[in-house]
Amino acid sequence: MSKAAAMPRSETGRMPAGVRTLLLRPEAPALIFLVLLAIVLAFSAEGFLDPANLEDNIARVVVLGVIALGVNQVVLSGEIDISVGSMLGLCAFAVGAVGESQGGLILPLLAGIGTGVVAGSVNGALVTLGRIPSIIVTLGMLYALRGMILVITGGRWITNIPSDTRALGLQSVAGVSVPVIILVVLLVVVELISRNSTWGRNVFAVGGNRRAARFAGLSAGRTRFLAFVLVGVLTGIAAAIYVGRAGGVQTNAGQGLELQVVAAVVVGGTSISGGRGSSVAAITGAVLIGVILNGLVLLDVPAEWQSAMLGALILLAISTDALRRRLLREQPS
Amino acid sequence: MISAAVPRRLKLSRELVLLAILVALVIALSLMSPVFLTISNFLNTSRFFVEIGLVALGMTLIIITGGIDLSVGAGLGLVSVALGFTFKAGLPLPLALFLGVGVGLAGGYFNSLFITKLDLHPLVVTLGTLALYRGLALGLSRADAVSNFPGWFAYFGQFYLGAVPGQLIVFIVAVAIVWVLLARTRYGRYVYAIGNNEQAAHFSGVPVARVKTALYVGTGLLVALAAIIYTSRVSTARADSGTGLELDVISAVVLGGASIYGGSGTIAGTVLGVVIIATLRNGLTLAAVATTYQVLILGLLLIVAVFLNEFFRKTEE
Repeated sequence: MSKAAAMPRSETGRMPAGVRTLLLRPEAPALIFLVLLAIVLAFSAEGFLDPANLEDNIARVVVLGVIALGVNQVVLSGEIDISVGSMLGLCAFAVGAVGESQGGLILPLLAGIGTGVVAGSVNGALVTLGRIPSIIVTLGMLYALRGMILVITGGRWITNIPSDTRALGLQSVAGVSVPVIILVVLLVVVELISRNSTWGRNVFAVGGNRRAARFAGLSAGRTRFLAFVLVGVLTGIAAAIYVGRAGGVQTNAGQGLELQVVAAVVVGGTSISGGRGSSVAAITGAVLIGVILNGLVLLDVPAEWQSAMLGALILLAISTDALRRRLLREQPS
Repeated sequence: MISAAVPRRLKLSRELVLLAILVALVIALSLMSPVFLTISNFLNTSRFFVEIGLVALGMTLIIITGGIDLSVGAGLGLVSVALGFTFKAGLPLPLALFLGVGVGLAGGYFNSLFITKLDLHPLVVTLGTLALYRGLALGLSRADAVSNFPGWFAYFGQFYLGAVPGQLIVFIVAVAIVWVLLARTRYGRYVYAIGNNEQAAHFSGVPVARVKTALYVGTGLLVALAAIIYTSRVSTARADSGTGLELDVISAVVLGGASIYGGSGTIAGTVLGVVIIATLRNGLTLAAVATTYQVLILGLLLIVAVFLNEFFRKTEE
């Protein structure tokens, strides 16, 4: 961060300090891009500014955003988690199955979170204790968990989920839908933990320079393990929202979501090499993806092009991050 | 610390363990299915593992340099769509095939641009191009399929020389070329040098960026070859061809002993890994184990393989 603060002194020297600090936030480029895109869409795409459409933009990325909050911490700690697509599917089945047999909201939610915590702990243990690279662990888990869904359910879909189990996806308070409220609350909670708790600070330290963090006496293993567990907790909550909104669970639930989550995190401005970023960045990235997908629909772009847009967006984001790092390195300090 | 002979014997034991696994697999699977242990079944199996095997050759070299390429499955889909749909649009098939090869090379070069010019981690780059290539394939084909190829196109994936499938011969030739390249040329030494210590390699005069570019472009070529064989074998060009291929390929390479951290790995090991995975897939199918279980088993196998690998490496040290 000290390096970042030294960077654009020449160009921004006359700016008020507050504005400069804001512009140097990791999520600043994505936020500016989001605002510009919204302005363009407001003029070109009919119906974009409808309040219902605006809320739908956020509501559709709640599941993505909640999981991105967790994966963001993993990326900050210098690791990656690409198992979340299958993890969401498995958690959604836990929520759906318990909801189907027991009803209610609390038990299914706990079942979802519990499943997520177990899966996240396995990821974390294999990475930290097994010393296997996180990309391999979570790639393997992406397939193993999807296989488990198919084995456990035998390909059966869950369809008749009682409405009280679906509360997190269906209800709204004072005109704002519950998923959006949950997203905002979780954003505040995770950002506070990330900024103010010991673990939150350790995540930045371990991701920024693991050796230095270890020499300073931090437990790099425990810090990263807890980040993987957090992904599990948040994926469990996201699963309850997913089941609530979808009303059923298919065996392919969450397929491909891991790409969108990683895209949200890096597009938002969290550095893929760890140590730099914020929860706001992850949510900005998620909303940006939601707005882009919404814009594609409003502009009548066929749905088949969505994946290509997503890929181009990831590449654009990581290239910008790389250029930013290069500029920082070339700047005399 | 330890004499040079000891690591050599232990290194042998890693490949022996792989062979033992293969033998155990063959015995177990032949007990589960009577048709498993027959020559015709083995030759038949080889038709299916050549696509994985070809791509695994390139992936081995990439993994030895400490890189990874997750975009190979999507690349296969894109090449398949490129050749199928330009053919449908009226391009003569030989030209369409060349175009497919060009797309494969371009895909690999595009990956290498981000990795060498921008110094980005191959993992994120190829995660992005995975989505991009698959998306381009879906968008260009509009999720449609092409299947009315002329009869001679079947040669690439359905040709037999006696009882030997044609693609097995292609694979053996490719194995020989890549093995010589890796074990017997200066270029091969560069690949190991980069994987052991990229900075040291750079300061020792190894053209790191050029070697890496060549690797990703070469893998693109192998992906294009695999795509042509695959498209011919199933007589269909579709955007979702090769979905999940990267898992099979990476599993095979890692099972074969290449370290995911770079610096070690052999072609012999990779070929063994490919055969084990193909045997497992074929045997499980013959034993009527549902494909859903196969996904689970493959995922677990990947994790166990890496775990065993690092365990072996520690004993070697």
